[in-house]
Amino acid sequence: MSFAPRPAVQPWARVNTARRIQILLASVLPLAATVLIIILTGLDKNMALLGVFLPLQLIAAAVVGFNAFGKRGVGDAALIVLVIFFATFVLVLLASVVVSLVSQGAQAMSWGFFTTNNRYVSNTTSLEYGGVGHAIIGTLLVVGLTTVVTVPLGIAMAIYLTQSQSKTKGVIRTLTQAISGLPSVVAGLFILSIAITLDWQKSGLLGSMALLPLMLPTVARVAEEALRLVPVDLRYAALALGAPNYRAFFQVILPAAKSGLVTAILLGVARIIGETAPLILTVPISNGTSWDLFSGEIMTLPAYVYNYLGSAFVPSQNRAWGAALVLMILVAILFGTTRILSRSKSLKSKPTKEKASK
Amino acid sequence: MGKLAFMSESSVSKSVPERRKLSAGPLSTGDKWFFRTTSIAANFAFVLVAFILVFLFIQALPALTSQGLPFVYGTEWNNQKDPIVMQIGPMIWGSLLIGAIGVIFATPLAVSLAYLIVFMLPSRLAKVATTLVDLLAALPSVIIGLWGLFVFSPVAAEWATILNKYLGWIPIFQVKSADNGFGGSPFIAGWIVAIMIVPIITSITREVFSQLDRDLINGALALGGSKFSTFRRVIFPTSAGAVVGGILLGLGRALGETVAIYYVLQITFNINWAQILEPNGGAVASMILSKFGEATQDEVSGLIAAGLVLFILTLGINFIASIIVNRAQPWRKN
Repeated sequence: MSFAPRPAVQPWARVNTARRIQILLASVLPLAATVLIIILTGLDKNMALLGVFLPLQLIAAAVVGFNAFGKRGVGDAALIVLVIFFATFVLVLLASVVVSLVSQGAQAMSWGFFTTNNRYVSNTTSLEYGGVGHAIIGTLLVVGLTTVVTVPLGIAMAIYLTQSQSKTKGVIRTLTQAISGLPSVVAGLFILSIAITLDWQKSGLLGSMALLPLMLPTVARVAEEALRLVPVDLRYAALALGAPNYRAFFQVILPAAKSGLVTAILLGVARIIGETAPLILTVPISNGTSWDLFSGEIMTLPAYVYNYLGSAFVPSQNRAWGAALVLMILVAILFGTTRILSRSKSLKSKPTKEKASK
Repeated sequence: MGKLAFMSESSVSKSVPERRKLSAGPLSTGDKWFFRTTSIAANFAFVLVAFILVFLFIQALPALTSQGLPFVYGTEWNNQKDPIVMQIGPMIWGSLLIGAIGVIFATPLAVSLAYLIVFMLPSRLAKVATTLVDLLAALPSVIIGLWGLFVFSPVAAEWATILNKYLGWIPIFQVKSADNGFGGSPFIAGWIVAIMIVPIITSITREVFSQLDRDLINGALALGGSKFSTFRRVIFPTSAGAVVGGILLGLGRALGETVAIYYVLQITFNINWAQILEPNGGAVASMILSKFGEATQDEVSGLIAAGLVLFILTLGINFIASIIVNRAQPWRKN
């Protein structure tokens, strides 16, 4: 996958011991020098990273590049150093999110945290009491209802985009992509204005409705890609044998695209499970457990995090971290499942994939 | 062969059958219903957008009529006055400013990440990196907000202090007084947004990079190009369109980001043109959330009007973005 070997003056002499040592030195020395400077002068770490390490590393790589390839080696060296620096930066940020989430959230973790609700819990109650049980139930109910409605809709949309010969396909695809950029707070306001216009009470149902426009584009797009991976020849063969389109779909295409469609559902759920703003606008929160989606108050995990995050009290903040960790675990489970599904699929259907892309 | 000849002979001898009606449409009733159902579902996309516009408009109308055009450029929000004053100029400008900062930070990060994944890493590591980027995209914004508030803001405030100290002579890095601290600035909000849009730009750039013609790249290398010149002369020009589309998609996301910005930004109704380190900024979506808690009935209408403005803004940007992305990815078409 990587580049062809760069053309050197003497390609056969490209990798020799001297150059290896140079490369090794260039990748170790700047870091060592930076650490030394931080220890000796007590320079601010952030300052040292940008003001000392990056220039040193660029110079070191440029020297190696110049030795190897002359002037053109300098540009190459700069490209490689910057690419690795920026990419590492992103990964460090991601690692920071995950590490802080786990380390802070772990304080709140206990069996009781998963199973109890927050009735009789105040801002300063210690973490042994209360938990996110009611929020987990609420999230499952609200997200579950959205999923039940959105999945058939999204998959039907994907069928339309792949199986029919209609002329409006392009418009609908573009429109779906545009909806996928719908700000979540606008989705909440949309349902809120329906509720005000028709004089409905706020409830979990409204929250489910507000999540629908956010989930739909994800399901439709991923399902469309999954259906497109099924070779067209299979469908044509079924049709040529006299099967009507719907039987060709249900008996030939659907089994072939099954894991892709499940991925679509899981990614859709992962997309909305952490959505906060629409739920804040449309669902009244409670501290007790509620199974009633259609009236009254109901708590959800994102709303729980949001509610306790703003608090000035440490136990409440820890609750927020704990709930965020639970949320993250749910997202990670959904996400991990899709990875496993897509891996097994790509192993099985590699040759057909190539054909479909032609 | 002989059999074929025999068959054609016999069919000629029979009278010519009546011309069958040729139709590309569905033949059986089951098929009719199959296509009817799916086309209803697909056209739900139109219905949804229309509904969003109509209902937001109905509820926004009272605020829009009472405030008039100054609603979008005025700089005051006061529910004590009679009649009430609601103007979101600083919020719209703040959203655009934060979006611009986010895009400026995110683009080099995302393009580097895509370059690393496609051209430098061995395929197994590339898969791991791709998964990590997708994981970053899957992080709920409330988690980014939580992390941004407690973990990232203090660090970013240090960066801001350094910027102000050494580059303070550049107007955008000036602050009125360094005693206010460097938290809650558009700079920090921009970073938070950048973290959230890096995966969007990365995934589009990565796809375009991996679909580039390998022969083109190898040809450039064979002609004596270095990695750098190949990137500048071959890879960049052929994929720039898609990258721009990805940046626009990211901008749309940045404008709509609500919860994460809400926690890290000091929202005020004083317009902050470009003093990005000042703890003073605005964002339409976050403002809606922050005002919603104790909003009066009139204010709710104003907030919905703000949502309508935001919706039109992001819809426009996303529409343009998806057209650009689709044009730059011809292999996506049927």
